[in-house]
Order: sequence, then C-alpha cells, then structure tokens
Amino acid sequence: MTTEEKIAMLEDVLEVEQGTLRPETALVDIDEYTSIAKLSVIVMFDDEFGKKITGEKLREFKTVGDILAEMD
Amino acid sequence: MNTMDFTGKRYLIAGIGGIGSAIVEALYDLGAQLVLMDISDVNINNIVEKYGSDRVRGYVCDFSDVLGIEPIVKRMIAEVGPVDGFVYAAGLGSVRPLKMCKYDFMRNVMDVNFFAFIEMVRIISARGNSNPLGMNIVGISALGAFMGNSTKTAYCASKGAMNAAVRCIAKELAPRSIRVNTVAPGVTDTKMFRDAQDYGAGSEAFRQIEERQYLGVCEPSDIADAVVFLLSDMSHKITGCCLPVDGGKLTS
Repeated sequence: MTTEEKIAMLEDVLEVEQGTLRPETALVDIDEYTSIAKLSVIVMFDDEFGKKITGEKLREFKTVGDILAEMD
Repeated sequence: MNTMDFTGKRYLIAGIGGIGSAIVEALYDLGAQLVLMDISDVNINNIVEKYGSDRVRGYVCDFSDVLGIEPIVKRMIAEVGPVDGFVYAAGLGSVRPLKMCKYDFMRNVMDVNFFAFIEMVRIISARGNSNPLGMNIVGISALGAFMGNSTKTAYCASKGAMNAAVRCIAKELAPRSIRVNTVAPGVTDTKMFRDAQDYGAGSEAFRQIEERQYLGVCEPSDIADAVVFLLSDMSHKITGCCLPVDGGKLTS
C-alpha cells in the first residue's frame, strides 16, 4: 500500500476532506479525531490489517505518520 | 424443601466468560451437574479440571456458526441426557462506530448474541431434550436492551431482540412448565469491561457510571446469584421478564 493510499484510507475513516492529512499532521490538530474516531481507527486496523491496537498503543500515536507506520 | 438445592439437576451453560464461569461456580456449589458449551476448549478444560469431570462436562461450540449448533446439542443430549435448565451467557461486547457497522459486522454480532440464543432455546425446549416436568431458561441480556449509546448499535440491538423474543417464548412455552427470563447486568468486572476501559472509556465516563450505578461495580458472582434465583423454584411465578442486576444504574 502506498503512503497516498494509506492517507486516503485514514482520511475516509476520520471523515476529513481528501487531501487534508499529511504524515507530519499532529493528531491533536485534527478536530475530527474524537473518541469515536479513535474507535474507528482501531476498527480499521482490525478489519483492514488484522491488527489489534491496544489502548496504550493508540495513546502513543501523536501524528498521522505514527498511524501510517502501523498500517501494514 | 430447599429450593436452592440443585443436587441431581443438570444445567447447560453456554458461554464461559466472566459471568458464565461465575454461574458455573454457583451452580456447582449448589450440587448441580453442569454441561458447558464454549468456543474455547482451553476454557472448558480449565473448568473441568477445576471441578472434576464427574459433575462437569464440556462441548466446544462456536456460536457464530448458528447452523452448526444443532448437531452439537444433539450429541450432547445423547451423551448426558435431558437438561433441567439452560443459561445463555455467550456474547460479543462489540463497540463500533455506525459508519463501520456494515452488514457483515451487524450480522456477526446478531448471530452470537441473538440468533444463537434463539436456536439454543428452540432445540433445548424440544420434547425429550429437557425435563418433561419443566425447565428454566435464563439469557444474559444487558442494560443496553433499554438504553442506547454511541457505537453500541449492534450490541444494544441484539440485547433488545433477546428481551423481546423472551417475552414471546415465555408465553409460548408456559404450558410446558418452561420459564424463560433474562438478566441485565450493570457494569460488571469481566474481561468485556476491562477491554472497554482499555480503550479509554475515560475516567470522566467512568465517574458518571459510578454515580448512576450507586451500589458499585458488580462482580460476576452478583449476576450469577440472580441467575440461580431465576433457575430455582423460588422464582416460580416469574417469567418473560428482564431482571436488572445493576447497582441501581437503570433507574437512576
């Protein structure tokens, strides 16, 4: 999966406009990164990548790039 | 007559999670014979080892495979005999934003939490599979059958369905001396609860729960106590109902 494809998937999951996110974007700066959105990220990892993301791991994500790095 | 003596009676417990295993313990201590069904042979073996195979037997069953349930139950009845009661304590505590609640996901939760329950009741209540003098059935429901929250669509729908179905099944099976009820636990200290906390249910959310559930978080044994009551003759005029065991949460 290319970085662009990963970003597009994440933008879809977070319901932000396509082209808004960059790897360096800080998660605290994304209004849509609510607690429900975080659950969507967990579900995305489970459904699309077969990965279980723990609460602790989730809290370690600070930037979009941190999430992209796990998306494999 | 001691209505809490289950010696010589046989109970089928489906789902040996936190609540299921507390029910097993409670019934075992009251003298019952137990037949377990669970997706995990490890869970089953642990319990059989703990209590001994003279009064506890287990059968592996994946309740998400609803059509595969009947052959397992038929084999079980052939091997151990008809049952005096049945508890359905298997379930998925799924949390998922609506956007990601596609049909496959919804159906899987409904399969385990509801369709498998109906299938089990259908089979167990057929003539010859239970004590002809009567039987008591308990489904583990949830306060989610009455109250909603974001990301809980599948879970709450499945518990609402269980409660509505039980109201019908109770009336239909009453002529055969079969009582059917559900128990709705409040927040209970099980893996399902600890998993939810791990995902940052958050201290604020938990503080609000503590305020509404003013008797405190339930232990699995609290739920088991209510189940035992509903399985016993002490509840002989109670059927078709959902009994909250929730530290006051539903009504506060």
